[in-house]
Amino acid sequence: MRAARAQLDVATHNLANAVSDGFRRLVTRVSLGAGGLAVRTEAATEQGAIRPTDRPFDLALLGPGAFRVGDHATRNGAFSRDRDGWVVDDRRRRLHGACGALRVSAGAAIAADGTVRDGGRIVDRIPLPAGTHLQSGALETSTVNPIGETLAILTAQRAFETAQKTMLAIDGTREKAANDVVRLK
Amino acid sequence: MYAAATGMAAQQTQLEIVADNLANADVAGFKGAAATFTEVRAGAIGLGTTVLGRHALLAQGKLSRSGGPFDIAIDGAGFFIVERGSARAYTRNGEFARQADGSLRNAAGWNLAGVRIPADALAARVERDGRVVVDTPEQRGRPVAQLRLAAFAAPEGLRPLGATLFAQSEASGPARSFVPGARDGPAIAFGMLERSNVSIVESMMQILGAQRAYEANAKGIQAADEMLRIANNLHRS
Repeated sequence: MRAARAQLDVATHNLANAVSDGFRRLVTRVSLGAGGLAVRTEAATEQGAIRPTDRPFDLALLGPGAFRVGDHATRNGAFSRDRDGWVVDDRRRRLHGACGALRVSAGAAIAADGTVRDGGRIVDRIPLPAGTHLQSGALETSTVNPIGETLAILTAQRAFETAQKTMLAIDGTREKAANDVVRLK
Repeated sequence: MYAAATGMAAQQTQLEIVADNLANADVAGFKGAAATFTEVRAGAIGLGTTVLGRHALLAQGKLSRSGGPFDIAIDGAGFFIVERGSARAYTRNGEFARQADGSLRNAAGWNLAGVRIPADALAARVERDGRVVVDTPEQRGRPVAQLRLAAFAAPEGLRPLGATLFAQSEASGPARSFVPGARDGPAIAFGMLERSNVSIVESMMQILGAQRAYEANAKGIQAADEMLRIANNLHRS
């Protein structure tokens, strides 16, 4: 029952993020251990679809990796340039390149390999794992598939019900064993 | 259950923004908006989603020829500077009409800053470089004013004042006025209007997606509720 509950939590978390750009759906791995069924979650690694946006500082990651904004990592590449030239997300957190927070002029361009060119000069580089490319003017959409998650919810619900029935059955057997086996007629 | 509730709230925000975009899809100079969402997690436990923020989409709209007597459009970046009393605002909507006192006014009552058409002008037009030229009985093509546009360090930070008007803000930085028509720079198109940059097809797709996701999230809440009910029935009466 605990496993089914955990699967439901993951499915609802995924569904809640159906429109979060850069979100990678979580998948559950159920394994049988000493303490019963254990549920592990991990982020699925499939690539999200790329949606063009016409904003020059929107960045989509093609391949594994993440952007560093402020002090944490994200795959959501919705950035814009603020009044002082910092490249920031919608919460005003700064995007970091290899040489620290990125500060550019309005005409700057970010190439597929992560190099940031400003006025014809390379000013910084967004660190990317080998094989990963960037696409500017686009965003990676969430990889959540609402139909699949709805199915996961229904499955978890039924599994929960089955587990409950099984527990009641076990309870019934034990009740019989405890009360009826040694009853004197 | 609470993760699903955050998902429903997010889809509602998404629907509100897309509905606002669609409602203004026919308004000249309107710029759409978009919200960004991000997941909320406490370690490995997913807690749903939250709105990271919203931003204006300032991409150029298509220019189309219009029937208005004093319609102008900006081909490129920048904003018209408009004034009402001592207030100043910025807009991409160039639907102006000539008033009796010579000023050029839009439907909301804002005047195009720095431009006044003389009373004896028979016709007036704006050149590519912002020069306002009139034909009078004595002289054809007499320049009477210079139209200037405003640029901002971060135009997405402008504060919206209704559908197509914006005010300068801390985030946008101060307005810098410039003369249009430079090579490769923004230019004025007279007799044209900029259509809104909202794509109706894309908005409809967004609405359908938001609606489906909203329903699916509701299903998540129902399932969590059902599980609690089943758990409560574990103890046989």
